[in-house]
Amino acid sequence: MVGIESFDGVAPRQTIEPASAEDVAATLAAASKERASVVLRGGGTKIGWGRTPASVDIVVSTKRLSAVVAHEHADLTATVQAGARLDEVNRVLARHGQWLPVESAFDESTIGGAIATNDSGPLRHRYGTPRDLLIGIRLALTDGRLIKAGGNVVKNVAGYDVGRLMAGSHGSLAAIVSATFKLMPLPAATNTVIATFGRADDLVAALAAITSSQLEASAIDVRAGGSATAGPYVLVLKFESTPGALNAHVQKARALIGGAATDIVSSQSEADLWRAHLRAPWASPGMVIRFAWLPASLGTVLTFLGDLRGSAADVEFIGRAAIGSGLVRVDADTLVQRNIVERLRSRTDVFRHVVVLRADARLKAQLDVWGPLGDAGALGASVKHALDPNGILNAGRGPV
Amino acid sequence: MTRSGAGPIGSAFVADLRRIVGNEGMVTEPLELLTYECDGLPHLRHMPPAVCLPSSAEDVQEVVRLCNRHDVPFVARGHGSGLSGGAMPIAGGLVIGLARLNRVLDVDIPNRRVTVEPGVTNLEITRQVAPYGFYYAPDPSSQQVCSIGGNVAENSGGAHCLKYGFTVHHVLSVEVVLSNGDLVHLDGAIADAPGPDLLGVLIGSEGTLGIVTKITVRILRKPEAVQTLLAAYDNIPSAGTAVSEIISAGIIPAAVEIMDGVSLIAVEAAVHPNFPPAEAILIVELDGPVAEVREQFAQVEAICHRAGATTVEVAQTEEHRARIWKGRKGAFASMGRVTPNYYVQDGVVPRTKLPEVLDRIRRLEKRCGLRIGNVFHAGDGNLHPLICYDEKIPGQSELAAEVGGEILQYCIDAGGSLTGEHGIGADKAEYMPKMFSADDLDVMLTVRRAFDPKGLCNPGKVFPTPRLCGEVPGPYHVHPLEKAGLAERF
Repeated sequence: MVGIESFDGVAPRQTIEPASAEDVAATLAAASKERASVVLRGGGTKIGWGRTPASVDIVVSTKRLSAVVAHEHADLTATVQAGARLDEVNRVLARHGQWLPVESAFDESTIGGAIATNDSGPLRHRYGTPRDLLIGIRLALTDGRLIKAGGNVVKNVAGYDVGRLMAGSHGSLAAIVSATFKLMPLPAATNTVIATFGRADDLVAALAAITSSQLEASAIDVRAGGSATAGPYVLVLKFESTPGALNAHVQKARALIGGAATDIVSSQSEADLWRAHLRAPWASPGMVIRFAWLPASLGTVLTFLGDLRGSAADVEFIGRAAIGSGLVRVDADTLVQRNIVERLRSRTDVFRHVVVLRADARLKAQLDVWGPLGDAGALGASVKHALDPNGILNAGRGPV
Repeated sequence: MTRSGAGPIGSAFVADLRRIVGNEGMVTEPLELLTYECDGLPHLRHMPPAVCLPSSAEDVQEVVRLCNRHDVPFVARGHGSGLSGGAMPIAGGLVIGLARLNRVLDVDIPNRRVTVEPGVTNLEITRQVAPYGFYYAPDPSSQQVCSIGGNVAENSGGAHCLKYGFTVHHVLSVEVVLSNGDLVHLDGAIADAPGPDLLGVLIGSEGTLGIVTKITVRILRKPEAVQTLLAAYDNIPSAGTAVSEIISAGIIPAAVEIMDGVSLIAVEAAVHPNFPPAEAILIVELDGPVAEVREQFAQVEAICHRAGATTVEVAQTEEHRARIWKGRKGAFASMGRVTPNYYVQDGVVPRTKLPEVLDRIRRLEKRCGLRIGNVFHAGDGNLHPLICYDEKIPGQSELAAEVGGEILQYCIDAGGSLTGEHGIGADKAEYMPKMFSADDLDVMLTVRRAFDPKGLCNPGKVFPTPRLCGEVPGPYHVHPLEKAGLAERF
């Protein structure tokens, strides 16, 4: 048994840790038959994401499914069980100079959780999200069957990409038992350039210069607010290249950034910097919201968030500047938090897909954490009903 | 050739269609219908009872609603360049051609995206954004003619997908008409729409989940430098060794292609790329920032020599590079120079299994008596065996299909896939059980029913027939009727 954790105050009746894929399938089948609600658990790092459940009957943990099944390094692929920790997997892959370029803010994040949430970090700019790296999957269904989709090869269009369907499903369609990914070589050399700006407009101008150039950064992140930040607006660029070429990239980036104060960080300090950066929104109290915007409207986003800070709330923002995806942390009382979510959701000309990831039960009771699913909502519900006819998975916590 | 008898598409139905799409959007003349009887896989053909060419998403919705009311299955068709019979008409089914939905709706350089209708060609997207220094990355060999809607249906790749991925990595959102006529937007062209990746499962579903009417793709900044080399070898295994060493050096080339002796004879005769004499030609392309490409390209050159290249030719000019690619991309079209007919498969094997599988193909070639050329995306193990045959010689067409099936079995034995980019379509549906269990396929069909409960979207493709238990029997019936007077159908 793992320690009892609650879902916004709702305690599960039982936690099961199946030791095999077959056991996962059998557990789901039994639960479905009894119409017992199930929450699937990996490392438990994002287990609080989702709506408050009415009740949770069973937590099914993938803890005992933690093996790296195969690392085909010459083919740049690996098959891993769902409960394997991302960091452990990458330790194994590094023996052959490779890695799965999926980042997490949380040490105990697992492969299954990474796929189910499609969570990612700054390197998404270069490598995409887990759904982009996934090439095959094995699933346990609520009817007790074990099925696979995709395969072991990086290029494959045979049949439906059912694996990709799991990305963003938050465990509401089926249980992931193992997955196969395409891998990347570990970069030979990396450097990070940090530029600090007094005004949002200056950051936006520097960003435009960078993204209009032929420089190829691996991460282009923006950060504003929060106590750990030196200046009001920070641009953080990571370059990965060959040892001989790296310096050229860094110098070119500096030139394009222009007048802003820049720092260049490498080796251990660079790793520490990104680790702290990734964790920043989660390290302090408050609700955490994920939202998206069109990259060209970053200026408006920064102004809007600046105004929020003006209203005395503790607001911290970190985002993928060239993609238009970010997290904002707001530490304030429930009413202010709710008000901010509503304001973001009402500005559909700027903000989209405003999802409340971390919030206390009081706030969750006052809004839908997922927000509107648009005209695809019915289709999502139809897929959910097809794969989980008794509606047991994720205990009504959504997103479907 | 087969065609349907009296199906649900009668004169009243055609009149209803005509009211929606107008006279200019209706094709019913037998001669014109001939254009639509097959796609780029000409040995699978079926005369459609009617083709309609809507010119807006609203028209597509109306047409689909009409089909739904009358339980008429339909096949969406882009520009008909597919290689797996995915757009082959079905008995008693309507072909919905999307060629008139060919508008470029929005070129949004600041947000690095372009929104188009499905009938726009793949290359047109790059043409639109090239003046600004951008391009659309997926580049199937047919990119001058293939439609972006077809690319979405097939999850098309191309020579550069080793580094840049497939259509699924470059489509931000689509607007899709479901089989009940509903218009649904998947992902809204902005990152991180909450919920399962419905867009991810739609892409590559080969027209069996809906009809895409609008597509937003991301565009990429042109790389600062592109360097291409061609290395000639006496044998394929040496070229393969070079590829392995490049990958294990931690280099991900933009493209790695190998062509064998048979295909080289064909392209030399047809498009004159002036390749050096060889049993195997390896093409490697690197792109990215100048300093990085320079450093890695030197490594690649050294590896190619070390693997025993007889010649290494580095493209010195853009013209030279274009000539090398003309030789590679013209390979299929050139096969006519060495064979009256050919049948191409595109099975995939883990890259490390290439030597073993190519060796099995060689032995098969000796045994079956048909020549088998090979042009393949070596970086990702995607084979393109070109099985040469003459349909005029009795039994050769069947033999070619059998040989193709045998090669696919080799790919599956090696842990690979039936198709890397051409799709399953009508061509390989019967082989799906080689790769997937009945349960695996049943789950795909379950997903399909969630999108298309009546099974009206492109039935008979992707999934093997006889259908598995659980699939809703389609409302259509294949009647392999002989050719008859075309006029009596309406």
